[in-house]
Amino acid sequence: MTIDATLPGAMPRPARRARPARWEAGIGHGLMILTALICVFPIYWMIVTSLRPENAIFSTRLWPDTASLENYAYALRAVPIRQMLVNTFIVSFTVTVIQLVTGILAGYAFARWRFRGSALFFGAIALTWLVPLQVVMIPNYLLVSRLGMIDTLGALILPHVASAFAIMLLAQSMRSFPSEVIEAARMDGASHAHILWQVIVPNLRGTLASLAILIFISTWNEYFWPLLLSRTPENSVVQIGLQMFITSEGTQWGPLMAASTMASLPILLIYLVLQRQVIASFMKSGLR
Amino acid sequence: MKTTILTGLALALGATAGHAQTIPAEVTEPVTITFYNYNLSSAGNGAEATKKMIAEFEASHPNIKVEGIPVSPQNFVTRVQADIVAGQPVDLTQMGFNALDFASKNLGAVALEDIIPQAEIDAHLEGMVPNGLELGRLDGKTYGLAYTFSTPILFYNADIFREAGLDPDAPPQTWEEVKAAGLNVKEATDALPLATGIYGPSAMDWLMQGVVRSNGGAVINEDRTQMTFAEPESVEAVEMLRELAKLGITKNLDITSQMEGMAAGNTAMYLQTSAIQGFLVDGAEGNFDLRATTMPRFGDKPVRPNNSGSALVIHASEPLKQRAAWELMKYLTSKRGYTIITSEIGYLPLRPEIVEDPEYLGEWVKDHPLLQPNLDQLSVLEPWVPMPGPNYLQIATSMMDAMEQATFGDNDDVKGILEAAQTQAQNLLP
Amino acid sequence: MTETSSSLPTLSRTRPREITPRQRLYRRLRPYLYLLPAILCFVVWIYEPLARAFMLSFQQWNLLPTTPKVWIGLENYRNIFALPKFWQALANTWYYLLGLLPLAVALPLAIAIFTQDLPARSRNLYRALIFVPMIVPPVVGAAVWRWLLDSNHGIVNLALQGLGLEPVGFLSNASIALWTITFITGWKLIGFSTLILAAANASIDEALIEAARLDGATRWEIVRDIRLPLLSPTILLLVLMVVLLGAQWSFAYIHVLTEGGPLGATTNIYYLLWQFGFGSLSVGWSSASAVILFVGFGLLAMALFALKARFSFHDD
Repeated sequence: MTIDATLPGAMPRPARRARPARWEAGIGHGLMILTALICVFPIYWMIVTSLRPENAIFSTRLWPDTASLENYAYALRAVPIRQMLVNTFIVSFTVTVIQLVTGILAGYAFARWRFRGSALFFGAIALTWLVPLQVVMIPNYLLVSRLGMIDTLGALILPHVASAFAIMLLAQSMRSFPSEVIEAARMDGASHAHILWQVIVPNLRGTLASLAILIFISTWNEYFWPLLLSRTPENSVVQIGLQMFITSEGTQWGPLMAASTMASLPILLIYLVLQRQVIASFMKSGLR
Repeated sequence: MKTTILTGLALALGATAGHAQTIPAEVTEPVTITFYNYNLSSAGNGAEATKKMIAEFEASHPNIKVEGIPVSPQNFVTRVQADIVAGQPVDLTQMGFNALDFASKNLGAVALEDIIPQAEIDAHLEGMVPNGLELGRLDGKTYGLAYTFSTPILFYNADIFREAGLDPDAPPQTWEEVKAAGLNVKEATDALPLATGIYGPSAMDWLMQGVVRSNGGAVINEDRTQMTFAEPESVEAVEMLRELAKLGITKNLDITSQMEGMAAGNTAMYLQTSAIQGFLVDGAEGNFDLRATTMPRFGDKPVRPNNSGSALVIHASEPLKQRAAWELMKYLTSKRGYTIITSEIGYLPLRPEIVEDPEYLGEWVKDHPLLQPNLDQLSVLEPWVPMPGPNYLQIATSMMDAMEQATFGDNDDVKGILEAAQTQAQNLLP
Repeated sequence: MTETSSSLPTLSRTRPREITPRQRLYRRLRPYLYLLPAILCFVVWIYEPLARAFMLSFQQWNLLPTTPKVWIGLENYRNIFALPKFWQALANTWYYLLGLLPLAVALPLAIAIFTQDLPARSRNLYRALIFVPMIVPPVVGAAVWRWLLDSNHGIVNLALQGLGLEPVGFLSNASIALWTITFITGWKLIGFSTLILAAANASIDEALIEAARLDGATRWEIVRDIRLPLLSPTILLLVLMVVLLGAQWSFAYIHVLTEGGPLGATTNIYYLLWQFGFGSLSVGWSSASAVILFVGFGLLAMALFALKARFSFHDD
């Protein structure tokens, strides 16, 4: 079934005259460039620092005088980063997929039906943000230990099978999904499952891709919970690897920056790929 | 859930409840023990040296297998506690001195005297610095043997000293001299005259205890029932620091800024644990002349540095594992063990005789003059007194908050601030 | 209470179907079945421990069965409220919020709307660049900012001095440090909010906007009368997030950059409770801290929910 045909919104892109005035656009671009610089410069600094030798770490030169890969070599030697990256990828990918699924299901329930306790459940989900991890950490650790999952990747995934943010964002975008489309599908006798997975989900590609990026990154960057769990570096995630360069006796900045660069690049790549997906989905779907 | 915790714990701690068990004289069957260690949780020398020591130990004790568990120092006690509650075996730990009291009362730490024949203990302790042994003693019993520990050192940048017209070969020895040197530095250079690791959450109260003690006071009385940090000696010490702050000689910096300022060559003097020496040496190499001297004293009063760092503590409850843990503990605190700890990780040897002995540290010490002030302080070292009871961290934090306020705040009434905080902290004592 | 399809009340009436009691039961249970996986996760990993923490907040205990639980009533709460820093931290929490809302909501909103009308190439470039801070581990971001802002040898201060200005103690001056940390927290969040808002903005029906244009609406009028109202649920969601999570987001930066100092100037309620409660092992303190946080912010959240309910009306 094609949605495009039924939609009033399937229109060509707006005409040129809607563009802002030249000076307005100039200021806009100026501010955007400034913001972009502020956003990117620290990362540039991270990479530059990762190329500096140990005794020039605190140098303020914009360019490393003698670029060396020594910090990278050391980081790779000292910590099993490759294995950790693989582990982190597995954990982040799994968590992202599961959170999207639980989020889609729960979001649909909130958006689609009125049921007893709906507001209560919604509130309870939002309020999970307020529970500090440090308070539930020990009970959760005991639970994981009883499940025999200490030192496994499963223990890093299990407490994250649902996220309040995913549920709330999806509930909200499903609420503003045009009811005519759903109506049409109902007329065709489609089941709820069919409507959800065949009609709504494909049209939320943009939101889902954005959400996937965000879930993936926050899982990738999480470290409190993995820190409590970590027992062997080979079964741990990359944030633990980064932590290994930070000690109370002084941080090894060079290797830390090198390791961080290696840890950040995969997510940048994933962002670029998914971002393309976001754009593509807006372009392709005639719907919105 | 509760019942699981109960049974797990009953199993884990069962033996400690029943008193002095006799442990086997040697390990005759294969046994695996866990060693909770924070050096293993970071990359670098600490981890390498620890792995090396474990390997050497296993080679000489074929029946004992050691499972090193890397735990970051920031949640070390949490993790030990969680593992005990979860019923995971916790046999030997590298416990911070400030948690020693908590460990002895809550985490099943075993006093050596309760499980090991006195003669054997005495034989092993032979040759160790007596007041170093005090560091791990609580209420007359030995719960821990000082393992990776260090003392406060006044690091200084000899280049800045020269620039300020000071003699780098005659560094300040008293707080008066620190002040005078600081004024010179302030006058002549852009550098920060003095940074100290006294304040900041990660410092806790270890360095402050030493400062107050050096002025003849104490932050808590001897049987640890009464907070005493608002007594005159303590007030005077804080007032001295306040004066340095008011003169612009020292600033209220977080620990990383202090360390980086010194390592980058922007600070003239830095009072901090010798444990960070490696970090400073890396920054100084090729950039400036880094030197060190002992902690400053107050006038003619003797300096009373205290230790930071960790002790080895046995938590095992089965006699066989206790024996195995004790064997590992003996090895790690042997001449060989301290040689590795000192030369490869950068802490202090608790056995002074190895410093001269060419078989151990003799050669190494000659190339590492920065260790000398540390060694000088060994003979006057005093323990970092742990605060008692379950609120031990909150007591120390409340006290240090007040002391920071009294040093750097707008209110000149140092005595008033400390008294108010002392009353509050007193309420948190058990 | 019957379960109805909220958006299609008429449909079910026009097409009555035979429903067996089993189907009826299934229909009634269906919403809960859809919610089940998520709710189960939250109950097991969050609410059950939280309920236990609530009980523990009235006790002095360390989880170990060998030590007795001592019932101490409100003692834990009294201890926390007696902390001299408590009210300072509370006030700071408020300032953090004030500073974060523009950075994490208003600025990204402006960026999302501005970039929406740009050609695809520059739009994507801007959004990608702005997203970059998200990918950096917080500790590393904090460390880099510390170097850039250092009062002696930081590149920002060197630049200021080059312009003939006095160096600024971005992190050591008690009246500036809080704003510095707010800025860094916001810096990390701009990309996040922009992504969410841009996705919502892009899903606004272009036909509406085109129609408005044909009616002669100006750019600004289109933003004010069409985009903002349609974005308002998303904006409110972000505001809610910032309010509820802002204190936790700044945690990493406070911890790495100032440890709450100088003199408590940058400590917020979350950091304070962490320092006294979660950071230590006395379960009583940490549980009481959690309850205070949960109840305090929970009330705030309810007020926001009420607001959201009122505001969201007109997007139906």
